[in-house]
Amino acid sequence: MADILINVIIAFLAGSLLLGLHRKIMARVQKRPGPPVIQHLLHSLKFFFKETAFPKTVSMPFYIGIVFILAAVWIVGVIVGPVTKGSLLILFGVYAVYKIVEHNAGSSSGSPYGKASCVRAVLSAATELPLFAAVVLVYLKTGSMNISSIIAYQSVNGPLILSIPLAAVMFFILLLSKSPYSPFGITKDKALISGFETEHFGLLRGYIMFAESISWYVMMWLFLTIFFPPLSAAGYLIGMLVITFITAFINATTPILNPNHSVMTQITLGAVCFIGTLIMIFI
Amino acid sequence: MFNQKLSCIILLILSTLAILACLLVSFQDWIVYMVAIVAIPLWILSLGFLTMAKPRSEDAEERVKEPFTGY
Repeated sequence: MADILINVIIAFLAGSLLLGLHRKIMARVQKRPGPPVIQHLLHSLKFFFKETAFPKTVSMPFYIGIVFILAAVWIVGVIVGPVTKGSLLILFGVYAVYKIVEHNAGSSSGSPYGKASCVRAVLSAATELPLFAAVVLVYLKTGSMNISSIIAYQSVNGPLILSIPLAAVMFFILLLSKSPYSPFGITKDKALISGFETEHFGLLRGYIMFAESISWYVMMWLFLTIFFPPLSAAGYLIGMLVITFITAFINATTPILNPNHSVMTQITLGAVCFIGTLIMIFI
Repeated sequence: MFNQKLSCIILLILSTLAILACLLVSFQDWIVYMVAIVAIPLWILSLGFLTMAKPRSEDAEERVKEPFTGY
């Protein structure tokens, strides 16, 4: 339990600071000063003390239960990832539940913006295709879905990013779609105010930010672990900083796509990378 | 409101005890994982319900009247 608690705290603090850095880099690219790097962490904590009320139109207890599920699935992510280095399939399941949470948080809110975001969450499940394809390709290459076996494989045969780079590109697309202000972030398009989070304010927003900080850390940890050779803590830190910098740069310079284009772009990139990787493996 | 506060205090105590029990006693792995998955989010949520500010009584009705529909 101590191991889990330590990893959850590290994931929350590192994830919050990296999301703060993400925002800062985006601002600097757009020639704005931007908020301090620590701002995301401070906001997450501040919301726990803000005035909170639950609108009459929300579906109780689902409205609160869904954010509880969001936090619980990313605790599962920490346990299966950094703590036990378990199965990739469970992490795929965690991501699938995350999409269900986006959908249901919007539908339970009673807000027209939340409901529009809920519909888009169904479309944005297209991001699961590149993830699933990447998991399949890693399995075809290493013969295992277990993260510790994949680490062992890479220490003998070299990093997977060199042998199946297109699978890494697919996984990176997933990271990009998960990052704030992403061109693929159709559920949180500013045309929908805050999307499925619009009616989750105060305490519940702080709770969502806590879970999303953990999710950002877990997704980057997973990418670095399954595509790079065994890394030290400093290696993970540098890798996460680089990924945060690249995604922030892309998001700062790219407009948000409309839902159809977002889905088609992800599916097309996923299909091209999947076929390309199959050719690299079997030919 | 009183019921909500009381439930949150009970849930906070229960989740704290569950986490402490797993820290002090060596249970089987699956029990520790189940407690972590349920008790850690529950601890944070119940603590949040206790620390959050409540609207003033004269503003309470206005706050819950309708969802946000735009600026």
